[in-house]
Amino acid sequence: MSLSDVLSPFSAWKNLFRDPVTIPDPLNDRPGAPRYRGFHQNDVEKCIGCGTCEAICQNAAIDMVAVAEIATKPGDSGLRPRIDYGRCCWCALCVDVCMTSSLSMSNEYKWVDHDPEVFRFTPGVDLKHWDSAELGYRRPEGHRLTGNERVDMGELEPEARADSFVEIVAGYDLEQAKLEADRCVSCGLCVATCPTHMAVPEYIATIRDGAYEQGVRLLYQTNPFSNVCGRVCTHRCETSCAARHEGDPIAIRWLKRHIIDQVPHDRIKQIAAEGRVSEPSGHQVAIIGAGPAGLTAAFDLAKAGHGVTVFEAQPAPGGMMRYGIPEYRLPYDKLDEDIDVIRSMGVEIRCSTRVGEDISIDQLRAQHDSVLLAIGLHQGRSTRIPGSEHRDVVSAVELLRRITLGERFEVPETLAVIGGGNVAMDIARSLARMQRQQHGKVGVTLVALEAEDLMLADREEIDEAREEGVVIIPSRGPRQCVIERDAVIGLETVHCISVFDEQGRFAPNYDDSDIQLHDAGLIVEAIGQAADHAFLGEPLTEALEWERNRIRIDADGRTSEPWLWAAGDAVQGPDVITAVAAGHRIAASMMAIFAGKPAATR
Amino acid sequence: MLRELYEQLKGRFPLGELSEKRPDLAFITLPREQLRPVLLHLRDQEGFTHLVLLTAVDWIEDDRFQLTYLLHDRQGARDIGLRVMLSRQAVIEGAPMESIHDLWPTAATYQRELREMFGIDFPDSPGVNEDFILEGWREIPPYRRDFDTLKYSNETFAPRPGRESQDPAQHMKAQLYPDGA
Repeated sequence: MSLSDVLSPFSAWKNLFRDPVTIPDPLNDRPGAPRYRGFHQNDVEKCIGCGTCEAICQNAAIDMVAVAEIATKPGDSGLRPRIDYGRCCWCALCVDVCMTSSLSMSNEYKWVDHDPEVFRFTPGVDLKHWDSAELGYRRPEGHRLTGNERVDMGELEPEARADSFVEIVAGYDLEQAKLEADRCVSCGLCVATCPTHMAVPEYIATIRDGAYEQGVRLLYQTNPFSNVCGRVCTHRCETSCAARHEGDPIAIRWLKRHIIDQVPHDRIKQIAAEGRVSEPSGHQVAIIGAGPAGLTAAFDLAKAGHGVTVFEAQPAPGGMMRYGIPEYRLPYDKLDEDIDVIRSMGVEIRCSTRVGEDISIDQLRAQHDSVLLAIGLHQGRSTRIPGSEHRDVVSAVELLRRITLGERFEVPETLAVIGGGNVAMDIARSLARMQRQQHGKVGVTLVALEAEDLMLADREEIDEAREEGVVIIPSRGPRQCVIERDAVIGLETVHCISVFDEQGRFAPNYDDSDIQLHDAGLIVEAIGQAADHAFLGEPLTEALEWERNRIRIDADGRTSEPWLWAAGDAVQGPDVITAVAAGHRIAASMMAIFAGKPAATR
Repeated sequence: MLRELYEQLKGRFPLGELSEKRPDLAFITLPREQLRPVLLHLRDQEGFTHLVLLTAVDWIEDDRFQLTYLLHDRQGARDIGLRVMLSRQAVIEGAPMESIHDLWPTAATYQRELREMFGIDFPDSPGVNEDFILEGWREIPPYRRDFDTLKYSNETFAPRPGRESQDPAQHMKAQLYPDGA
């Protein structure tokens, strides 16, 4: 017998002083393990009701139900998951997939009741004692079933793009698009936010399946401008995306563009024409303005067999999509493709035809069953600061129009842009390109009234403008255009402390001690646009109901005159997709009227 | 340290690639014929005396079943996993896999489970065809990726009356755009 054999019974005694590993009172106190998958918890404030938990549940144990206290709002369906514990197997896939990490499991596992119905409950809404439990199963750090990061979009580097109007964004290739589409959980929270309610989850699914023709079919159900919107849409859908809570939102806009890029133009025309009524109805519609609102209405009406003539003042159709948006963001040939599809429905577009000059609105009214005003905002507003009447103080929309028209004009080596919105960025970046072409260097100063973080332009526009050499100075208000010997030599600005007063009214507050002079041989005003209503004539202008300087319309886009509808930026901004939605509404409204009355014989 | 062992083994057996997960955990992919000799060598010469588990993965896209034999060396406090790839199609058509219950008796239990859950047959393994946890199972083995769990669940378990669910997109449109615009 060795010494250790003698001592070992005693060495066990030292364990007397250790914490016990057993539970002192196992009959009453038996907590679940720290990461036990017990009863569910849901932080209903964090939850967005996307239903991904319901979709992944392999036991069909989860229902999405409306909850009285939770309102539906953009990005939150207002629904919350209700779990049937008669079916749940506590696999925790719902917790693993949850897009906001609102769903988790407590380590509580005892629940006794005589009523079987109580075991179907809405965690976080039907309050339980384990709602605040600290322990239980949480999705482990870094463990995600869906990708967090957006697939990078190829873009021209600043050096490669700064002196040309070539398109900046490359578009996804097949593999990139599939990877990005795979991140989408198809919850559909984005659909309500899109003004025209595009079938986003469904068209993204066609990328996963490689079914691009079906994708185009889905796009055309709600939007005849997918080439345009796939490039320049304001993509508010992405602000409602479930993926944005713990990663990047899905690149919905780029995926739309990817679909339309994959199908040959002639095939797109065939798909768009599916369901077209070939028999003419006899009803005739005149549309004033070939922008997104007018042409969308034209597309729907012509497809349903109605006669549509669009009157466009400019030499080519497209409205602000052509004469406002620079070519480096939206190439003209892509816009032309969308418009070609619309024309192929039988829409007649009469360009270089200005209503009020080449034809009167009374003539249009006499020759058509109904008329749509979709004239856009093509007049630039002026700051009216001293010197702004000078010929070298011009509006952004006018200059953008001249660039599109292909006018070659000299750009001075220095110039100033007044305004902090997207139009200001468009003209600043366009003129910077022309300066590089003409002088080999950029001299654009952009002054915005708003502070850096409150500027109205998209952040990517601001960043890209800076990359291209535009000097952007926030918090500056324009004071006067400085003129010497009849030539503009600079813009004087003053520091702007705040833009709005306590009531939220526009009332800039300036610090007059901080004044700067920016060298400029040309000053561009990009502070907003107005519609030119002069062509309406006095009797019609008097007869119509107005809201400030906009024609009053109802929810269907009808004006106070029964034969006249209005849509687009002139009555309801701010973007292409809103105009498209209005175009659809108006076509539907007109067709509802046509359905009740036979076509007039002319 | 497991890379060293891998290099040694490679001198004796034709092996596939090594995948090191931690200093004390690695996996070796190897041809099916090498499984038994390598297991024996590891057990008798290298101290890997404990079979921790035997499990499978269904790589349906690659038409493969992967078997993983995880071994533990108590003295060396290290684990090594051996991976063998089987043709999925062949297994479904009934091709057998060699049993290792004679090396570790516990393997019989794992093999019985794999038989039931994946349909991988290990003839000669004791009790391999007896029900393991599924009684009276009539579907394809449930751990196969082509088994539709949700469909089975819906068909087998009646929904409790009064259940209803809303589609988030449709509900939002109805709430936010009641006029259907």
